[in-house]
Amino acid sequence: MRFDSPRPLTAAQQYLALRTNPACQGEGQLRGNMLTWRFPVTPTALSRQYDARLEYRHEMSPKVYVDAPDLVVLADGCRLPHVYEQSPPRLCLYLPGSGEWGAWMRLDQTMVPWTALWLFYFEAWLLSGEWSGGGLEPTVRENSDRQQQTAGRTSLRPSTGRP
Amino acid sequence: MYIERQTALRKAQLFGLLERLCERLELSPTQADRAKTSYEAVGQWLAGAEAEWLASSSIYLQGSTALGTTVKPIGQNEHDVDLVNHIPGLGQWLPPALCKQMVGDRLKASQRYSVILEEKPRCWRLNYASEIHLDITPSIPNPSCSNGGELVPDKTLRCWKATNPKGYRDAFKQRAALIPQMRMLKSFAEDRARADADIEPFPKPPRFKGLLCRIVQIAKRHRDTYFLSRDASLAPISVILTTLAAWSYEYCVRSMVFDSELDVLCEVLRHMPDFIGQQAVAGGVEWTIWNETTEGENFAERWNTEPAKAQAFFDWHVAAMQDLERLTAAEGLDRLSKSLTKSFGQAPADEVMQDMFANVAAARSYRTLGFAPGIGLTTTVAPAARATSVRSNTFFGAH
Repeated sequence: MRFDSPRPLTAAQQYLALRTNPACQGEGQLRGNMLTWRFPVTPTALSRQYDARLEYRHEMSPKVYVDAPDLVVLADGCRLPHVYEQSPPRLCLYLPGSGEWGAWMRLDQTMVPWTALWLFYFEAWLLSGEWSGGGLEPTVRENSDRQQQTAGRTSLRPSTGRP
Repeated sequence: MYIERQTALRKAQLFGLLERLCERLELSPTQADRAKTSYEAVGQWLAGAEAEWLASSSIYLQGSTALGTTVKPIGQNEHDVDLVNHIPGLGQWLPPALCKQMVGDRLKASQRYSVILEEKPRCWRLNYASEIHLDITPSIPNPSCSNGGELVPDKTLRCWKATNPKGYRDAFKQRAALIPQMRMLKSFAEDRARADADIEPFPKPPRFKGLLCRIVQIAKRHRDTYFLSRDASLAPISVILTTLAAWSYEYCVRSMVFDSELDVLCEVLRHMPDFIGQQAVAGGVEWTIWNETTEGENFAERWNTEPAKAQAFFDWHVAAMQDLERLTAAEGLDRLSKSLTKSFGQAPADEVMQDMFANVAAARSYRTLGFAPGIGLTTTVAPAARATSVRSNTFFGAH
């Protein structure tokens, strides 16, 4: 952490913020420095209602899952874009290490709106097969000489659409 | 209360999408201006004729352009603008074919018009390069109509047919001016008292044109889409849809209270067939949809010689109600878009959805995207409101 960074919020502070923000209506649990928050998200009034779950351990990366409806079923077997895990889908909402999220930022003002935005682009993706929300995805750059058996190097490329 | 509010928002936004869809299909303000300049010039040319009877003629809009209910034909880029060239100095003694010929001769005498002139069965068409046609139908006074009606050539050009474009337009506009009574939802009433009342749901409602015009446009566009894969010659003519919608609108507005514009649309469409008349004639029953503004014009006349046309109307109506119900029930932008495509065609459905995505993308890049309780994403800037501003982010992760 940089010397001048703001102080990280505790899990209890995050939990309080989630409970008091009317845009994050839901319910959760706080156990020590670990919190779970379950909340319904409807990105726009014309969208589905999704049940999301946020898990956070103090100063670790927040994890956001979509529990219902089953996104893989909605995607009709296609691989979901911008997720860390397919099932249950864990959403990739920010670029780690970029400063987009830090432990001093409120989850109710970052993860929750980003979840709505992800789901908005998810429905657009279901429609067109294109991820129009922008983003970056790690790619494995294979070495041209397979004999070297290099495992490959992770790099970032702009996100486009369905593979 | 949350569900109630969500439902109301859904309906408002869905109707907003339908309005935007209509906006894309109607004559644009620029096209309307061009059409006006063009038909005024034609009117001057006709009135500049040496023949006294033509010199006293006037030209005015009729049909969907006059009513504000234009819908671009599918697969074409051109709008038809229907005009009446009213010639007060002529009477029924003149054969309709000759009257039409005389107007045509005057148009042919102009270098400018002769090259873009095309003869149609009942009228003269001027094909402009700017995506519009002007269809000019000659008319003469109808002395037996107490409503100021007129006579136009019938399709065979052998006799005169009663009509009243001005009277019809006035009656339509009177009905269109009726405002439906809306029930205000309790949760909305409470919201209005709060500081966040200025949060507008996403997407922002478009310019308000008037519900009846929109309902007519929606019905016409659905008809066009429905008959694309069927016998288009059986499709109900626009004046039938417009008349039934206007009568149904008046009935619904006078007898019901609504939750939303979308509900008005559904009810008006649902009740359209109730206003089709039937009258006993020797040997059976005839369909009637009378032009109330003149004597003797039955818009459903053709249904009596071609019963398949009547059946096609009722089949279309069942399909339109089903599609509207599916559209109202569709959850998810993907399903909604598919439902819009089925009802109104791929191109306008894609365009309104792309508009919505572009709105969010723009708000995101200007950092004005908000997230508000009970609303979701909103592109309205409302700093005092309870909306959370959506911070910049980069969706990361593998496909």
